[in-house]
Amino acid sequence: MTDTTRTGLDVDEAPPDPCRVAGTVPYAWPWDGALAGRRVALVLPGNDPGWRRAAPLDDAAAHRLALAVAAVRAAGGLVVHVSHPPAPARVLPANPARRVDGSSSGTDAWPGPRDERDPCVTAAGLDGFYGSPLDALLRAHGRDQLVLAGWGLEGPVHSTLRSANDQGYECLLLTDAVGAITPATHQPALSIVTMSGGIFGALGATDALCAALASLVSSTSSSHSASSSVQP
Amino acid sequence: MTDTTTAPESTLDPSPDPSPDSSPDTSPGIGVGQVAAEPYAWPYDGRIDVARTALINIDWQTDFCGPGGYVDHMGYDLNLTRAGLEPTARVLAVAREVGMFVIHTREGHKADLSDCPPNKLWRSQQIGAGIGDLGPCGRILVRGEPGWDIVPEVYPIDGEPIVDKPGKGAFYATDLDLLLRTRGITHIILTGITTDVCVHTTMREANDRGYECLLLSDCTGATDHDNYLAALEMVKMQGGVFGAVAPSDALLGALQAL
Repeated sequence: MTDTTRTGLDVDEAPPDPCRVAGTVPYAWPWDGALAGRRVALVLPGNDPGWRRAAPLDDAAAHRLALAVAAVRAAGGLVVHVSHPPAPARVLPANPARRVDGSSSGTDAWPGPRDERDPCVTAAGLDGFYGSPLDALLRAHGRDQLVLAGWGLEGPVHSTLRSANDQGYECLLLTDAVGAITPATHQPALSIVTMSGGIFGALGATDALCAALASLVSSTSSSHSASSSVQP
Repeated sequence: MTDTTTAPESTLDPSPDPSPDSSPDTSPGIGVGQVAAEPYAWPYDGRIDVARTALINIDWQTDFCGPGGYVDHMGYDLNLTRAGLEPTARVLAVAREVGMFVIHTREGHKADLSDCPPNKLWRSQQIGAGIGDLGPCGRILVRGEPGWDIVPEVYPIDGEPIVDKPGKGAFYATDLDLLLRTRGITHIILTGITTDVCVHTTMREANDRGYECLLLSDCTGATDHDNYLAALEMVKMQGGVFGAVAPSDALLGALQAL
């Protein structure tokens, strides 16, 4: 349907790669083309009252995040919620949004879909790995393909992404399921990820992730055996 | 031997104590020995204490700011990453003069690349600047190669630790935190390249660990100017979520007033 005038050479030469997410930039994610539900964790930094207030998801992003959560679960992926300490005293006066009030704490107040089995970790800083069992948890579950979304793109999401990448995790940031702190730094925070060929990983859309995970589920349910090499 | 005693409090103490009657927390004024920074006068807890402050120069390596290095190889404009070199050299000279703890970092991998994550290696190869590949300055981002070393303008002197890191953050898989704690450092001043990648990651790590951080805006640069500007903005968000930002002149002025 996209070929409007050309009719000659624009055959869809190859079926979409079932082991990668379509349309990710700056490269087709994951790098090794071996997307597998059992290797995926959807990591949601900023899932605490302060950050959800400081960098909220709009309705469209909240909807996308719900879709991503469902698709990751259906594919055998893990969903991990990350919360952070309240802002230090030095930043609070200018930043009442991050004050954690007594009415809500932890991740309990998140209105989105949450399974009781989802692990929740509390970090000691904005980096979800710092002072938390996140790395041990991901290793124990064999997760090395991380999909990041959540609250505070330039804050906890970026810090966690950077830390994950340094540790060798292969990361995909869902650009349509993340809340930015300010409009001015929203686009640059995405752009930075893609520098130097994907210095912190890749950017992608939730629908494409869901489609790729769904195709994995259907291909494994039809052919019962092979998990490592998925042939069309 | 490094001189472990820090520079004594300045013998010139020209001005009387600034208005002791005004309570310090009512206005965002800048005290003596504080840096005129954004979004708050740095450090937040009063005047600079040289003995508890470290200058960390991030990745001033040929690979990131020299001809024939990694960044040059990728086709980025070297002027952007070199812009902060001269002001950094000035700050470095003063830091040495006042006895501030100075640390340098370098990003690089072992010769067999056994500490290079496969996705990092693959990505670098995709853009034609593979880590470990032979370039004009030796093997790209490999420890011990000419391109990996620090450029002469800000080269370390004896007694200044150099932290070799495999990632973007200088705290990950290094002894940086131990070096800082052992020396009693609580405050960090950052220079280096690139602003949005290694400098920001390190500043985020330091801030999470409770260090009070200042980034010198003219002593850093990125491969993309907009990302440089955005990275500075991100530090200042929410009243200084990662610390504060100031031009180097503001720091030098504050040090002089001590």
